[in-house]
Amino acid sequence: MQIDVMYRPAHSLARVLLPHGESIVAESGAMVGMSPNVQMQTQSQGGLMGGLKRMFGGESFFRNTFTAQGGPGEVLLAHALCGDMVVLDMTQVGYFVQSSSFIASTQNVQIETKVGGFRSFFAGEGVFVLKATATGPGQMLVGAFGGVEQLNCDGNLVIDTGHLVAWDASLTYSVGKSGSGWIASFLSGEGLVCHFTGQGRIWIQSRNPTAYGQTIGKLLPPRSG
Amino acid sequence: MQGPTASSYAQGAPAAPAPAAPGGVLHAITHGPSFAMLRVDLTPGQTVVAEAGAMVARHQHVAMEVKLNAGRKAGVFALLMAMIVALIRRFIGGETFFVNHFTAPQSGSVWLAPTLSGQIQYRRLAGERLVLSAGAYLAHSGDIDLKMRFGGLRGILAKEGAFFLEVSGQGELWFTSYGGIEAVDVRGPFMVDNGHLVGFEGQLDFNIRSAGGGMLGFVASGEGIVCEFNGSGRVYLQSRNVGALTDWIGRLLP
Repeated sequence: MQIDVMYRPAHSLARVLLPHGESIVAESGAMVGMSPNVQMQTQSQGGLMGGLKRMFGGESFFRNTFTAQGGPGEVLLAHALCGDMVVLDMTQVGYFVQSSSFIASTQNVQIETKVGGFRSFFAGEGVFVLKATATGPGQMLVGAFGGVEQLNCDGNLVIDTGHLVAWDASLTYSVGKSGSGWIASFLSGEGLVCHFTGQGRIWIQSRNPTAYGQTIGKLLPPRSG
Repeated sequence: MQGPTASSYAQGAPAAPAPAAPGGVLHAITHGPSFAMLRVDLTPGQTVVAEAGAMVARHQHVAMEVKLNAGRKAGVFALLMAMIVALIRRFIGGETFFVNHFTAPQSGSVWLAPTLSGQIQYRRLAGERLVLSAGAYLAHSGDIDLKMRFGGLRGILAKEGAFFLEVSGQGELWFTSYGGIEAVDVRGPFMVDNGHLVGFEGQLDFNIRSAGGGMLGFVASGEGIVCEFNGSGRVYLQSRNVGALTDWIGRLLP
């Protein structure tokens, strides 16, 4: 399977070339177009509970499986937000993915929803992460708000949770406040940060979707009715 | 159209920093013009100051300290006013006037980004004065003084311009825009839609007025209020207008 990302970086579109019989699993709503011989199947992986858990984590209840039948096929996928996309090759350790960044993966990739703890839930930052693992070679497509930058963590990095896209599962992470105290953290405007330790790669996005939404939201005219 | 293939992706390879000006800091602006991000590489003891909330990432050993931005030689009254304004703005949004000081005891980096989509502009100041619209300030280093200026009645009329930030001194400044930034060297009169103004050099004469055409022009032209400049100096414009965006989205909301 080949995944090309076109129209980078602001409004990227991924083209998935499926050989005969192969499938890709995508978030519902990610499909932009597909060839007529591609079959779409909607399912809630992990049944009702799996779907609910995903919804709670800010993803879609259903995921769609696209399979090329009777010959090679093509599927076009996009992210909801303006920005870049990255194709990650599956590794032995796998990845953690910020839940709203996940777009699609090959069928052998196991996606597990992890709840980032109550602290992150109440802070409204939605630090829900997915753990993606695969037994063999596979690929995963993730999307960013803005540009994507790969940081190499060698020891310690502190990253604003709103800017996280994905990271190697070899890294240890913990979510916490940004400053020395809660008041300082509040005034600093940094909200929650993720502390990473160890060795691995981290992909960040150059814009924070929540911060963007809040800024624009405050400027909107009041709703009528 | 054929895009780059997955394998040919040099995704986010760290950009080489721009050479530091004498006494300045190493920095790199990437992902411009739509989603620009700034990386500052600090040497031991160097400090960069950034707008509250602008931090994307930092090395853990880079210390972050939140401070009230009230200018270096602020009196009690100025401090008090800065405190009140900072608290108000912390809740209603916009520039907070709390700033974060990032200091590296050993070499380390800080990544910074503005909230809206747009570009980051770097400018080295050598004693001149620059006036920035609210929200345009991102970060600075060196001996730079930031002073809040109340735009007065005409500032309130111009919506965006209730507060301006006056930047002066010696050092490095990074400011940001919604959309791309265009630098215009003005000689004589020049007009800018207030929603497209990012900043201007302090020696320029500045007035806020209707775009012309009397009352009808004010209401019907869609141009609202413009900033009129006189004299010579540089004006920075942004290619998009936040007010136009929020008006548009507001009308589409259920």
